[in-house]
Amino acid sequence: MTTAEEAVSLLKNKLGSKVIEFETPKPRRAYVLMKSGYHRDAISLLLEKFDETGVSTITGTDLGSEIELNYHIRCRGPVITIKNRVPKEKPEIMTITDLMPGAALYEREVFDLLGVVFQGHPDLKRLVLSDDWPEGSYPLRKDWDPQILEESVHNPNERSSIVNGGEIEGATSSVVTVVMGPQHPALHEPERFSFKIDGEVVVDVEPRLGYVHRGIEKAAERLMFFQDVYLVERICGICNAAHTVCFSQAVESIGNTETPSRARYLRTIVHELNRIHSHLLLLGVAGLELGYEPLFQYVWRDREPVLDTIEVITGNRILTAFNTIGGVRRDLKPGIPEKIKRTMNRLKKKMKFYKNVFEEDPTVRLRTKEVGILKPSSAKKLCVVGPVARGSGISMDIRRDDAYAAYDEIPFNVVTYKDCDSWARLMVRVEEIVESIDIINYALDHIPGGPYRVKVPRRQPEGEAVSRVEAPRGELIHYVKSDGSAYPYRVKVRSPTLANIISFREIIRGSYVADIPAALISLDPCFSCTDRMTFVDVNNGRKWHWNLSDIKRLKKRS
Amino acid sequence: MPIDLFFFLRVLVFPGFVFLLAFSLFCDWFERKVRARMQNRMGPSYTGPMGLLQPIADYIKLLTKEDIIPAQATRLLFTVAPVLAVSLFVFTFYYIPIDGLNIIPNSSFEGDLILVLVLITIAEFTMFLSGWSSTNPYSGIGATRVLTQFLGYDIPLIVFAIGPAFLSGSLSISTIATKQTLPFVALTPWTFILMVITLQAELGKDPFDIPHAETEIVAGYTTEFSGRKLAFIEIAKDIQVVLGAALVTVLFLGGPYGPVLFGSSAVWYTFWFIVKVLAVIFLLEYVGSVAARLRIDQVVRANWRLMMPISLLALALTIVCEPLLGPLIG
Repeated sequence: MTTAEEAVSLLKNKLGSKVIEFETPKPRRAYVLMKSGYHRDAISLLLEKFDETGVSTITGTDLGSEIELNYHIRCRGPVITIKNRVPKEKPEIMTITDLMPGAALYEREVFDLLGVVFQGHPDLKRLVLSDDWPEGSYPLRKDWDPQILEESVHNPNERSSIVNGGEIEGATSSVVTVVMGPQHPALHEPERFSFKIDGEVVVDVEPRLGYVHRGIEKAAERLMFFQDVYLVERICGICNAAHTVCFSQAVESIGNTETPSRARYLRTIVHELNRIHSHLLLLGVAGLELGYEPLFQYVWRDREPVLDTIEVITGNRILTAFNTIGGVRRDLKPGIPEKIKRTMNRLKKKMKFYKNVFEEDPTVRLRTKEVGILKPSSAKKLCVVGPVARGSGISMDIRRDDAYAAYDEIPFNVVTYKDCDSWARLMVRVEEIVESIDIINYALDHIPGGPYRVKVPRRQPEGEAVSRVEAPRGELIHYVKSDGSAYPYRVKVRSPTLANIISFREIIRGSYVADIPAALISLDPCFSCTDRMTFVDVNNGRKWHWNLSDIKRLKKRS
Repeated sequence: MPIDLFFFLRVLVFPGFVFLLAFSLFCDWFERKVRARMQNRMGPSYTGPMGLLQPIADYIKLLTKEDIIPAQATRLLFTVAPVLAVSLFVFTFYYIPIDGLNIIPNSSFEGDLILVLVLITIAEFTMFLSGWSSTNPYSGIGATRVLTQFLGYDIPLIVFAIGPAFLSGSLSISTIATKQTLPFVALTPWTFILMVITLQAELGKDPFDIPHAETEIVAGYTTEFSGRKLAFIEIAKDIQVVLGAALVTVLFLGGPYGPVLFGSSAVWYTFWFIVKVLAVIFLLEYVGSVAARLRIDQVVRANWRLMMPISLLALALTIVCEPLLGPLIG
């Protein structure tokens, strides 16, 4: 496995004077500031030298007169942050999508929120902001004023220009556009997919994200570090423990806080319980999407004891409010570990049955086997993460590659399947539940004594940190930058779904309409995670957009 | 038969319209309860004793809802199709013996089996029309799926129905039923099992609920329907299930005929009819509970490559075995 030092020395040797400054504060973290425009050389060098190099995300930070772009490049274990600065008056930079197609959505995100133009990007348009968001207004810039929204909302002329009717394109061809969402039974959160369908075959798909955008990254800058823990918890209800662990670790890393060992074990336990209930939820939903209702009902019933266990430990069923900066907020009460173990062992027996169902049931196999193929080569190119990557035979797991909490002390297996189809992605999750149960049992047996949290000052020193965890859906990355006050200067979150959703087009093209739900669910998309920023465009986003006054006008006409 | 009060009572109350409606609603409740218990759930349990009145409550609710016709829809078809579906299914029931006789006594004739199969086909077609007329992409896909699936499974269904007709030497449903001193399910179990699977597809139940696969195409051909029209479609589906089960009952389970222990034979025949229909519905629900939904191409392929040859083989087997089985037929 490569280390950060190795990567940095490689960059220094090959690119010499192009590296302005660098630091490696942790064994698996490096920050390298490149001369303007040389980020592509650095990235292609890393791609060439290290296998499994991918882009985790791109963070844009407004530094006043310049915008700093941080390309977080993962080389399996280490994360090399390649920095590049562009002037704010003329924020233009070369794209890296030709080197890494997986960066397409991240570049669109930065374009959307900070107005950086990526030259050569094949499809540079809005990602999260709404279609009627005023042009030239970039919410993550420090000089952005919310007042501009008020003005644009009260300007009906500007908005009605969006309406250009819903004409049917290519009426002579057999290709029909079927829109799924924002409201659709297969989607549990609002999102819109336009499918071009020829008979029963999907020709193409265009996803539109942004319906649950809440601007959490912007909001995080206005709250203190310890308050932000509860804010990032609300990014996603299902994987909330992953978000809080990730954010706390980033802040601890900035402040050089040493978390007590007991807290790290407790974090691991809650994190794994979180994973179990997230995976069970997904397997149940998969049953529903496949039209296998009894499976859905059975799995969800067995998910209940897991939620009860989380409640016993943290006091809450879903939003645990358990992690905090410097440790956890509650200790295990006596007698509870035995209770958890009993529940876990019971669940383990049930998992054998479910594994059997997914492996043996002919109808489940008919619907998921050989459906939604994502080849390992495309998976690498698109930089997918988590169970989606592992279902394509790529052995990547942050818990092992970039060990955090207590994972360096706990033995466990990384489950991979080489089938590359929807079935493999579901099976990865079935087996991961069993692994998680073992992790919890081991952690409960080996949990050390001592304090479970340390007090942390509200102010954090100046600095930046990248933190990664393996959320139930895959790699979750938080980037936090502090300017020495009690408030973060910049918080950047990249949830696993944003990394995986880009592969949906690849997966679904050429398959049947009936495969859409099964293939989509095998990615385990979570749109509230994805949409914590904002997307929308007038010119190239949606084909039409109606507001209330348009509807009233139409009503009068008819 | 003279057209008198007795006639009207039979046609409108028992075993005619009111009974059919009540029985269909009861079967709806039974289906839901069975499915719920198989899925580890309660099922309807609040309205009436054990939730028995839940289906009625649902229909009353639907009847009070706003009835919307999409501006783009073909108005006439959109309005007529649901009503037509109900009336066709109810009409088909008039050829099935319920209390030992048909609803209109002595109306059965040689060849009414063919009429019933034709009526079922036409009724199914109205479901397609209802989806097609609503000009919604989901309805359109749902409607074409109805037709695709139905084209595949109608022929095997008819072939399976020929088996009992051949054994009893008659194309009259009541004759087929009366001939079964030993039910045909015991004589030709292979045809019975295949018939139930085919029926599953005809009724659009799991794993063949493709025309209204919620997670793919919302409600399929019923997506645009609301209020009274939706209530009509739902009740047509309910009657369709009962009719399918009743058809299996008369063809394989000896129809309403069974031991008369005491008193009136009509009461006992109705009792046996209800018990047998419920048993078939239970079987249908059981099959539906242990399978995931298939894909339309898989169903079509399974039909033409498997079901068609198998149905012909089953019929051939029945014909070959006829000399052996002959003495057992009443």
